[in-house]
Amino acid sequence: MFVFDTLSLVFVGLILLGSVPNLFYSFGYLPHIERKLHYQLHYFAFIFSMLGVVISANALVFLFFWELMSLTSWQLILTEVKEKSTINAAKFYFIMTHFGFLFLLLFFLIVTNGDLEMGFAQMKAVASVFAYPTLLFFFLILGFLSKAGAVPLHVWLPYAHPAAPSPVSALMSGVMLKVAIYGLFRFLFDVLYPWPLEWGIVILSLGALSSLVGVLYALSEHDIKALLANHSIENIGIILIGFGMGMIFDTLGLHTLSTFAFMAALFHTFNHMSFKSLLFMGAGSVLHQTHTKNMEKYGGLIKAMPLTAFTFLIAAISISALPPSNGFLSEWMIFQSMLSSSHIDNISLKLAIPFAIFALAMTGGLAIACFVKAYGIVFLGLHRSSNAKHAHEVNFLMKSGMVFMSLVVLSLMLFTPFYFTWFDKVFVDLGRVSIYVKIFPDGLWHMHSVGINGGIVSPIILLGALLGVTLLMAFAYRVFGIRTRVHNSWACGYKTSAKTQYTATGFAGPIRRFFSWLYRPHETIEKQTIAGHATKFTNSSYEVHVKPLFETLFYDSVAKAVGLMSYWVYRLSHFEQTRYAAMIFNMMLTVLFSYRVFAHDFSWATFVLEFLVMLVSIKILIIGDKK
Amino acid sequence: MIYYFASIVVLILFAPILLSYMKATKMVLLFKRPISLMQGYRDFSKLMQKETIISEESSAISRWAPFLVLSPLIVIMFFLPPVVKGAYYVSFVDAFTITGLISLSTFFLMLLGLDSASAFGGMGSSRESFIAALVEPAMVLTIFSVSLMAGDLGVGQAGVNLAEHFPKEHMASFLFAGISFFILLIAENGRIPVDNPETHLELTMVHEAMILDLTGVYLAIIESAASIKFVIFASLFASLFLPFGYELAAPLAIAVFILKLFLIATAVAFLEVNTAKLRLFKVPNLLGLAIVFAFLSLITFYVLGA
Repeated sequence: MFVFDTLSLVFVGLILLGSVPNLFYSFGYLPHIERKLHYQLHYFAFIFSMLGVVISANALVFLFFWELMSLTSWQLILTEVKEKSTINAAKFYFIMTHFGFLFLLLFFLIVTNGDLEMGFAQMKAVASVFAYPTLLFFFLILGFLSKAGAVPLHVWLPYAHPAAPSPVSALMSGVMLKVAIYGLFRFLFDVLYPWPLEWGIVILSLGALSSLVGVLYALSEHDIKALLANHSIENIGIILIGFGMGMIFDTLGLHTLSTFAFMAALFHTFNHMSFKSLLFMGAGSVLHQTHTKNMEKYGGLIKAMPLTAFTFLIAAISISALPPSNGFLSEWMIFQSMLSSSHIDNISLKLAIPFAIFALAMTGGLAIACFVKAYGIVFLGLHRSSNAKHAHEVNFLMKSGMVFMSLVVLSLMLFTPFYFTWFDKVFVDLGRVSIYVKIFPDGLWHMHSVGINGGIVSPIILLGALLGVTLLMAFAYRVFGIRTRVHNSWACGYKTSAKTQYTATGFAGPIRRFFSWLYRPHETIEKQTIAGHATKFTNSSYEVHVKPLFETLFYDSVAKAVGLMSYWVYRLSHFEQTRYAAMIFNMMLTVLFSYRVFAHDFSWATFVLEFLVMLVSIKILIIGDKK
Repeated sequence: MIYYFASIVVLILFAPILLSYMKATKMVLLFKRPISLMQGYRDFSKLMQKETIISEESSAISRWAPFLVLSPLIVIMFFLPPVVKGAYYVSFVDAFTITGLISLSTFFLMLLGLDSASAFGGMGSSRESFIAALVEPAMVLTIFSVSLMAGDLGVGQAGVNLAEHFPKEHMASFLFAGISFFILLIAENGRIPVDNPETHLELTMVHEAMILDLTGVYLAIIESAASIKFVIFASLFASLFLPFGYELAAPLAIAVFILKLFLIATAVAFLEVNTAKLRLFKVPNLLGLAIVFAFLSLITFYVLGA
């Protein structure tokens, strides 16, 4: 029933690392919650079910825990219902997660021949004789990626994660998405092993697309938690880029590189767990104090909440992939594995991979912009509202949760080799050759890329050098006793006020304008002009809303199509009996004709003739005259 | 080892001269009386003697960020390719680490801009983040291409490889990468046509806007960070894209290297005099050009060489 191989244990480790600091935070947050029993019951069941998913050894147990995980998290979103949007978010989440569940169920029904208690190892035999493995692959990625939030199944994520209480957002974004990644690792390796090249390319393209889309929508957000949720889409994209590169290298027989890329993906999974949990905790503390999610109402919180600000800065540096943070290390590994694509013989593939590199590099640049915005607008400058003015540091338990989580972030940076011994064991267990020695050939200081002429990075030396130089300068500044005076900011002779600062909307302005073809922003400007002057006005307001393109493209159009169909069904149900008889006649005609056309002998002439007969009979018998 | 440390110290000390030289060249071209090459040092020593004024609205970020802007750049100085044959160099640090460190420095600079609650700072940060986001992909692709040609991802080693066996068969790809890197050099250092380092007009400034609230020692630190950043880019360009003169005898090699730096500075100065600053929303066109050249460089490398 349960399996405890290294892959499972590593993910158990991930869940524990993600949820133990969260426990502290959650208990600190508890006084804020009204339905305490409901919350705690589902909270613990949620953690328990995630652990259950990663250690379950047969399909039935897996699906049971998977569903339990979905349902408990769904209930957790509904803990604090203050706005109608929360209910809508929960509904959306419920539908999307069961959409994924459906495909997982189909997948399991096929690979187990209907015997859901079959272990994973036996499934491989069934799957290998199944005639359409790509169908299985698509079931798998539809099932897991709708949970992980990869494009185009990501639309629920920016609604659902922010709607939950902050500790739960941290768990959902930091840990639950990783359980879906576990599913990919488990079933692609254990069940569907020899992968065609196209699968890797599909995963790589989805990853590249998700990372760009995620970060671009994150930039246009002013709801801090929705911003972070969009960043989850980006990071899942980065993980998938690593994963896809691993699959491509594996198919091409470059096994060392493949293991390296998979390790990079696994490492980024850990890193994203750590910094995203920390960011959500920080955002939760800010929200707890200011009672608003709108970034435009924050500002200057670093003075009132120094610890939150400091931990948030650590996480922001890490998620922006700036050296020597852990986020940088995993992104570095993914870059290195992509640069090793010059070993590929297939020229068209070789020419295509730079586009993925472009996407990842662009994502990195935009992520920096986004976190400068998030940090700068939330914590720096002046208070933009009285809510922010009255904020103070959160309680001890919440603080300790954030501190523990930042220790996890730091440990991933400082003790990378330790984590890698475990990652290495995962892939040895999955039948790969150990590459730990190739990554750390000379002690723990340097991390090598396994590609020929690959690069080397040494996080601890870099950290030491940076800290050393910075502290030296700060020390010199102290020693020389430089006179310091405090004075107002220069604002061209006017008084600096909260209103003169840049806003989050303004900060993202250039990027929003440059990508307006994607955002299609809905802008409203209202001005009260003086005596008809275009440029002189007493007050003006500018609002901009960005509705995700994918939502309008896929989801809204699906909703429209369903509406249209139900309208026609509705019309049918109000016919008189003769028309029903006519419909049955038409149905029989259709069956007979299509049997003749497709199964017997096909000729265009009879096809057109029969089609016309059908049309005429539908027009005359069913639709009838217009009234 | 002595050359290694000497070259770092010399390059750091040399940085202000290079910026003053660029300014002087521009002044000569505009028929003005040029400033002295020592102007950078004069400004520095003047700023060092002033008291530091810290904005009332700012936080601990303003007190620490100037150091954190400079320190990644100083760390990069240790990783540059060698100037003289046989000198010690750090061969392994790859270009991602270097671009990452530059981004780290820019990250704190942007936070510094937002910290003082002034509209200018936010404006500068916003623009800088926009430009930096577009520079990143071009940078990574250019580096990828150069490292393929040099046969090593480590920047130091790549410089040495290019100087020792220049890949003549990849000349086309090399030139494309060179053009791309030159555009990046201009964009990252805030020169015309991307940013005007001499203006204090809110419509045009990017870098200056972020540091408008700094005085005294902090301003001196940020100014030296700007000059060191230019030296980093210029010496990377000199080592990677003008890979000659490395095999000469030590004094001659150093002289050639310094000449190369002056050559690059002159080129930038000529470009600055002859072009107008681009509107912010035209900058992506220029950076897009860099991205296209980087792609071209990779594609020609794969299609012709490999």
